Amino acid sequence: MKPPPFEYFRASNPEEAVAALGAHGGNAKLIAGGQSLMPMLNFRLLEPELLIDISKIASLKRIEKGSSGRWVIGAGVRHRDILVSEVLGNSYPILRAAMTHVAHVAIRNRGTIGGSLAHGDPAAEWPMLALLLDAEIEVLGRSGQRMIEAKDFFLGALHTSLSEDEIILAIHLPPAPVAWGFFETARRAGDFALAGAGVLLETQNGKISEARIALLGLGETPIRVYDAEAKLEGENLNSTNRAAAMEAAKAACQPMTDLHASAEFRVHLAGIMTGRSLDAAWGQAIC
Amino acid sequence: MTFEVMRPKYVGARVQRKEDPRLLSGSGRYAADVQPTRALHVAILRSDYAHALIRSINLDLARAMPGVIDVIDGEALASELKPLYATSRMTGYKPTALWPLARDRVRYVGEPVVAVVATDRYLAEDARAAIQIEYAALPAVTDANLSLTAQSDFLHPEHGSNLLVSRNFSRGNIEQAISEAFRVVSGQYRFTRTTPVAIEPRAYTAEWDRRLARLTLHSATQAPGIIRDALAEVLELNGPSIRVLAADVGGGFGGKVSLYPEEVIVCFLAQKLTRSVKYVSDRQEDLISTTQAFDQTVKAEMALDSSGRILGIRASILGDAGAYSIYPWTAALEPMQIAGFLPGPYQVPSYEADVQVVATNKTPSGPYRGVGRPGACFILERLIDKAAKEFGIDPLEFRRKNLVQPDQFPYKTGSGIVWDKSGFIECLDLAAEVIDYTTLKDNRDAAKAAGRWFGIGIASYAELTGLGSRMSAAPGMPINTGTESASVEIDATGSVIATFGTASIGQGLETTLAQIVADEIGVRPEDVTIVHGDSAAITHSTGSYASRSTVLAGGAAHKAGKEVREKLLKAAGFLMDCELLELEIEDGVVRQPATNKVLSFKDIGRAVYSEMGRFPLALRQELDLRATSFYDPEFGTTTSATHIATVDIDPETFEVRVLRYVAAEDCGRVINPQIVEGQVQGGVAQGIGVALMEEVIHDPQGQIFTASLVDYLVPSAAEVPSIEAVHLEAFAAGTIGGYRGMGEGGTIGAPAAVANAIADALSHLNIDITELPATPERLFRLVTTANQEKA
Amino acid sequence: MLNRRTITLNVNGEAHELEVEPRHLLADALREGLGLTGTHIGCEHGVCGACTILLDGESIRSCLLLAVQAEGHEITTVEGLGDSNHLNFLQQKFREHHALQCGFCTPGMLMTATELLNQRTSLTERDIRDALSGNLCRCTGYDHIIAAISEAIAETSGAGP
Repeated sequence: MKPPPFEYFRASNPEEAVAALGAHGGNAKLIAGGQSLMPMLNFRLLEPELLIDISKIASLKRIEKGSSGRWVIGAGVRHRDILVSEVLGNSYPILRAAMTHVAHVAIRNRGTIGGSLAHGDPAAEWPMLALLLDAEIEVLGRSGQRMIEAKDFFLGALHTSLSEDEIILAIHLPPAPVAWGFFETARRAGDFALAGAGVLLETQNGKISEARIALLGLGETPIRVYDAEAKLEGENLNSTNRAAAMEAAKAACQPMTDLHASAEFRVHLAGIMTGRSLDAAWGQAIC
Repeated sequence: MTFEVMRPKYVGARVQRKEDPRLLSGSGRYAADVQPTRALHVAILRSDYAHALIRSINLDLARAMPGVIDVIDGEALASELKPLYATSRMTGYKPTALWPLARDRVRYVGEPVVAVVATDRYLAEDARAAIQIEYAALPAVTDANLSLTAQSDFLHPEHGSNLLVSRNFSRGNIEQAISEAFRVVSGQYRFTRTTPVAIEPRAYTAEWDRRLARLTLHSATQAPGIIRDALAEVLELNGPSIRVLAADVGGGFGGKVSLYPEEVIVCFLAQKLTRSVKYVSDRQEDLISTTQAFDQTVKAEMALDSSGRILGIRASILGDAGAYSIYPWTAALEPMQIAGFLPGPYQVPSYEADVQVVATNKTPSGPYRGVGRPGACFILERLIDKAAKEFGIDPLEFRRKNLVQPDQFPYKTGSGIVWDKSGFIECLDLAAEVIDYTTLKDNRDAAKAAGRWFGIGIASYAELTGLGSRMSAAPGMPINTGTESASVEIDATGSVIATFGTASIGQGLETTLAQIVADEIGVRPEDVTIVHGDSAAITHSTGSYASRSTVLAGGAAHKAGKEVREKLLKAAGFLMDCELLELEIEDGVVRQPATNKVLSFKDIGRAVYSEMGRFPLALRQELDLRATSFYDPEFGTTTSATHIATVDIDPETFEVRVLRYVAAEDCGRVINPQIVEGQVQGGVAQGIGVALMEEVIHDPQGQIFTASLVDYLVPSAAEVPSIEAVHLEAFAAGTIGGYRGMGEGGTIGAPAAVANAIADALSHLNIDITELPATPERLFRLVTTANQEKA
Repeated sequence: MLNRRTITLNVNGEAHELEVEPRHLLADALREGLGLTGTHIGCEHGVCGACTILLDGESIRSCLLLAVQAEGHEITTVEGLGDSNHLNFLQQKFREHHALQCGFCTPGMLMTATELLNQRTSLTERDIRDALSGNLCRCTGYDHIIAAISEAIAETSGAGP
């Protein structure tokens, strides 16, 4: 399983990468960590003419505070860096838990947040987290820079709204509720989840003031269960609204049947993962 | 007959392995590591149809690509080679022609069709992509039942059906047993297809020796001797022209013990091109073309009397052999061993089994650790648990009542296998004691009362290991595997060298055989050089498989070591002018305690080989410090164990966690306790994989879904518990040295133990576990159905 | 497209020049280009872990890294840990605990374990199992590997920087 032949170019800044992408009209691929791309090349599922290496671009590796309390994570930041980042751990504690589910140590040591977002696998953690955290994805193309909201970024399985000549520069995370819950179920430690859910809760005077619920592995894209979120506002978590949220999650997902699980089983799991994540987040919120 | 070693010092001790320094430092030599000068590399184009006629093959584009030296297909080989057949003397058995590259038609997805040879593997794969083949699809059959009843589109039309083997065993009177039974428990069981997944994919480097026009095949094989003989046959070569070397092999588990097309292909090409040729399987190829395991459907029933004693067992076994009957084991291997071992370690007065094996358009089946016994144990132990439940008898006690009792050995089972004395009951007791079964049951009951799905599973089994010439791994198969040899010598420098026909696949033979020789001769294991894994080192050999190496090679090592020791003492006695009985040997030094005179092996070696004038002529012949011995145990010996596992099942996600695992085994005398423990733990881990996650999946058209390690799942460290392996010290076997084989036991007991634990955890829902692996999806279905039925 | 280029790889403290195509995997460059066959190839899709090496002290899959990408980094392979006559501390632990059988997964295990050891934190058995879950072994059932690493960590953690 050896890759097909390609040319290789190491970009020293994002503009060079964009120019190279543009010059090859869809026949070039960016490579950063390569943890998603290399297996595809080794299996010869892709045959690009040119590989543009962006793994050494320093400007993409920064974690910095942005405006309005946001945090900005460069596209080249690795899962491993996010896992150990104290600042991110304080502002978005759900990230640490989620990162431990990303494959294994060696994959996290190379894989990047930009790579995961651009790859757009609905069963991966970052697409779901981006949606849950209402992230904005900063992108550079030949026509300039733009911001894409997470809810507009994922179009389908392995299909994002990036154009052929665009590169992700960073992900912007606005402030978010800190009480969190994250559960996924997989065949083995580190495998792609059969189903997973992430929950963030903000409370005021013992009642939920903001609820966010997102699902992974349960459709062509990650899913936000907006109607369940709205129904939780103003309440404390009880068995009725918990069950309703689980039902809403089950109704919102459109999973596939594959080798590892049927659609029906996944729908069932959607409810379970949502319920458990709500329990965990609520437990944190009220103490 | 047992040979007692005088004051064994090393056998039984925790000796660190001789293999380790090279393997730990990355200096091992696996077949893919061999890099002959100017070697060429092969890429294989494999069929993507499960069943099709080959209409045309166009190699022109491929031949013209950069770095390509040659491209060959089945027709190019047809005039140059003979096909191989795995023959069998079994009545009615149908062999299938084995060609290294498909001719006229393809019979499974993954079957080799074209071989590209280029200066590197990257270029070979580029050229492979340029090959054009036109296929005419034929209907494919992947279900064994459908294959059995098929009326047309047979895989091997010359046979007029897909049935390759049909046999029946009968002992006692099963009809009567069933009609008179107080209770009959039954089930239909499915032991799905798995694949060995050794971490080293298969690799073959055919090294061409220009000087002597000879081939050395560095092969990732467990059986250099078998492969050498087969290649000599197929390529029509004499012995010295072909040598097969297996220096280090990265795990075999049965997947590296058959002759593979690629072994023939690289040898053929090396001869033709007079250059070294190398083929390394990638993981995708491994998952679709390495011989696969199990894949049986079995209907079984057990007749019992009113006190819960087994009266008889009857089974109907349908085995799926895949597309070909592989060499040399034949398609009969697995299913026949299920039939042979289904009565297990129990008293079963009446027994009947009929076995049918069909060809299907899937990867050929072959041996896998346990061979038939994991399936037999799963089926039998599920029936035992079912019966225990119906009678309201504790499963441990139910087994105790029905196991062959200590005073009943030797015991002839319903299938004709004879168990020699082994600790069946004793292992049961030991396992129960180690896991504290009584307390465990209380804990289980309390857990269940609190709503946890917690279960305990027991599996007891027995197997025949160290098979001699009067037993066959597969009845009627073309080679006899019942003997091993050992050649031991002390050379002119005083070094001890012991040569065997076995091979190293990770089981530590270099160390354990050295321990035996060390004890017999009086040196330290680190001073014994073990030579094996080399078909040229020994006149004849087969290799390492079927839990035989320690028993057979070890037994031969005792005999040859003893002979060499006697010769050494004779020489020393002459040189030191004393009686043999006055001498002691320790750590390579011969000493006469009475006088404290010493002679090192080096001194004696020099005297015997370079100063032979010191000895009278008549004595010199007797002093040649070498001996070759053979050992044939004739039948084999019984190895037995009881495994007990506990599981916890998440009632909402259906994830199964194995919490505790105890394996109590009687493997006779232990040579190296750490090695025994490691074998059990490794086998159990594989068995847990079979129970919970391993499954080769084909669609009805024969397309294989599990072609990567993301889809075919094997357990990691996070999925297996700590495995407690305890050894029963009670009985040495009747073999030389008292050893029993024990490499496969872990995989035999674990699927059954885990399956029984799962069934116990789900007992409140009355769910039977009849199919493995018990994946979350399968459990979800079973539980959902059970809940619906309750409602 | 034989668009070869010369690169310099820094392996086990030594600089090596070799000629590679951009598509050549680091695993192949190490094995064929430099004859360092201690790094093994088990799957070429990053799952089995046999090819694990250290890149600037961090474990990575050499089957998922192009040789050209490895320029400018410090590569450590199993050959950099010790040799047959002088096994390092961790290799000795593996030997003492019989933490290998066929040896094919072992170099990858050692590299992952080396990274773990260098972190100098105490770890539970569960932690170690999770950390090793990306290195598949079919021979040992993992117990002895865990024991070897556990003991190595216990003897080195708290031993200072």
